[in-house]
Amino acid sequence: MSPDLPKLPSAISNALELTLISQGAEAQIYFSHEHPFIPSPLPAGTITSTISSPSAGYILKYRPPKPYRHSALDAQLTKHRTLSEARILYKLFLAGIRVPSFIAVDPRQGLIWMENIDGPSLKKWIWMLEAEIEGQHGEGDDDEAMTRQESIKPLLLSVGSEIAKLHFLDIVHGDLTTSNILLRESSRTGAESGADSPKRIVPEPVIIDFGLAQQSTLPEDKAVDLYVLERAFISTHPVHSEAYVKWVLEGYVAGFGRGKKIAVFKVKEIMRKLDAVRLRGRKRSMVG
Amino acid sequence: MPSKQQLPAIDRPTVALGLEGSANKLGVGIIRHFARRKAGPRPPAEILANIRHTYITPPGEGFLPRDTAKHHRTFVVKLVKDALKTSGLTPDDIDCVCFTQGPGMGAPLQSVAIAARTISMMWDKPLVGVNHCVGHIEMGREITGANNPVVLYVSGGNTQVIAYSHQRYRIFGETLDMAVGNCLDRFARTLQISNDPSPGYNIELLAKKGKHYVELPYTVKGMDVSMSGILAYIDGVANDISSGNPRYAEDGEIITKEDLCFSLQETIFAMLVEITERAMAHVGSQQVLIVGGVGCNQRLQDMMAIMARDRAGAVYATDERFCIDNGIMIAHAGLLAYETGFRTSLDDSVCTQRFRTDEVLIAWRDD
Repeated sequence: MSPDLPKLPSAISNALELTLISQGAEAQIYFSHEHPFIPSPLPAGTITSTISSPSAGYILKYRPPKPYRHSALDAQLTKHRTLSEARILYKLFLAGIRVPSFIAVDPRQGLIWMENIDGPSLKKWIWMLEAEIEGQHGEGDDDEAMTRQESIKPLLLSVGSEIAKLHFLDIVHGDLTTSNILLRESSRTGAESGADSPKRIVPEPVIIDFGLAQQSTLPEDKAVDLYVLERAFISTHPVHSEAYVKWVLEGYVAGFGRGKKIAVFKVKEIMRKLDAVRLRGRKRSMVG
Repeated sequence: MPSKQQLPAIDRPTVALGLEGSANKLGVGIIRHFARRKAGPRPPAEILANIRHTYITPPGEGFLPRDTAKHHRTFVVKLVKDALKTSGLTPDDIDCVCFTQGPGMGAPLQSVAIAARTISMMWDKPLVGVNHCVGHIEMGREITGANNPVVLYVSGGNTQVIAYSHQRYRIFGETLDMAVGNCLDRFARTLQISNDPSPGYNIELLAKKGKHYVELPYTVKGMDVSMSGILAYIDGVANDISSGNPRYAEDGEIITKEDLCFSLQETIFAMLVEITERAMAHVGSQQVLIVGGVGCNQRLQDMMAIMARDRAGAVYATDERFCIDNGIMIAHAGLLAYETGFRTSLDDSVCTQRFRTDEVLIAWRDD
């Protein structure tokens, strides 16, 4: 079960302590406690404006060479894709969208450094909450729906609005799933939640993995992005997916362009396309 | 070699005649399944006859539906007779008549369907309509013993990445425009390469002599691929070269048509391997099975093997007897359906050019 994994360039693996945390079809994800070029511990206040939590560590995304393809083609693809992902990540970061902040890129070697987001994925978080709610309430309990609404809805609204911000900048993600949205503790929670407030602290969603992202002005592409997320909800959280998707879309429509006139027009068009994409059923079913 | 794949039990051997004619190959095959129990190893199917006749067009020309249908009508009776003779069976020994119901070219499909209906009524045997893609997949599984692979189905008319789930072969990725074999065939026409035995094979031979890699468009979109832009681009380069505008490689040498064949293969096969790898990662499979005419290509098989090795997996491929369209695969897939009680009534035996792989209920698998 352990194939000969393509190795990181030794200059990097010798200098830093890296742990492989995920291996996809195209890239490997490594975790590091240390910043790639700023000595740790970080001098106080050095890059706090860009790195939200230095203690969370850092992520190295590595696209290893693919020995099956011609070396010239391989070099071209690695460079192009790494650069494109880094550009999009940086653009989104500058626009204030919650994504891992970008640190460095080496397109020829297929390396991108970014901050680590320390928190569960939306998928795990929903699973945890659902289990918790089911534990508290009996079967078919009326309070159950109420609790679910109170605890999950605010988060999904903000997930929707975060995706809307992304789309408003004409970036489509290409692979929106509940595992590609991570949650971290909100930076504002301290002030907002009163001392004895029973309300749960709502974490803030951070969208990750822009490996398949691209620039697009087409409403169709944005609708497909939303449809892919909808399918992900249906396949991973089947029981209440309808409500979840409704909340995400509610947040999406409200968050799109924040009421600018042109945005209202655009978001209507996207919703119309989404209905069309749903009807079309997107030719294939993505059941794993 | 007994297979570990589980199939529903049958208490006596069954025999099927299969007719295939969805494109320019006319194939007739006869297969026998032995009696088997639900659990435990089972004997492999016995191939009693596998006969094929291909309609070959002159260089620079493709096969047109009308002419191809005429070819099939001309040869189908002879091929069925030959198949019976090879197998040493009589019509009484046969349980069912299987035919390709789609997808494929309309006119050739129809002429073979007519032959199948006629035989079925003459011999008083039930008809079984088979999805061509499912035929390829089941034959590949039977021959290679691959249990639950991700399937790359690449031929002149189809390009799909398929994985099994809940009694359907589901399509994870596919071409957004033309099939990979079609792209190769049409480039062969541009170069005026012979269509005998197949244009793709002749491109493969030329590609082996190619040295210089020419950069071509590379279009992978998620799990889908697109071929049309690549063909238009490389056609342009080829036309430039043939009209006396040579292109030069980095080392100063002139780009030849061998180089173009080499570059075309390198590019489109890399795309196919990439989407296959993505599907394997998605469903967590270690096996990959290549089926369809393009699946014979040695370079594609090699590239896939390198990818599979790096994932600690294995690649399964068959040779031209089973990769290229044939009657035996239709007989095999049809017989599997027949054993679960499936029949196609005369009224429902209309063929269709559009018949998606995931429309078929795979009743003989329950994993």
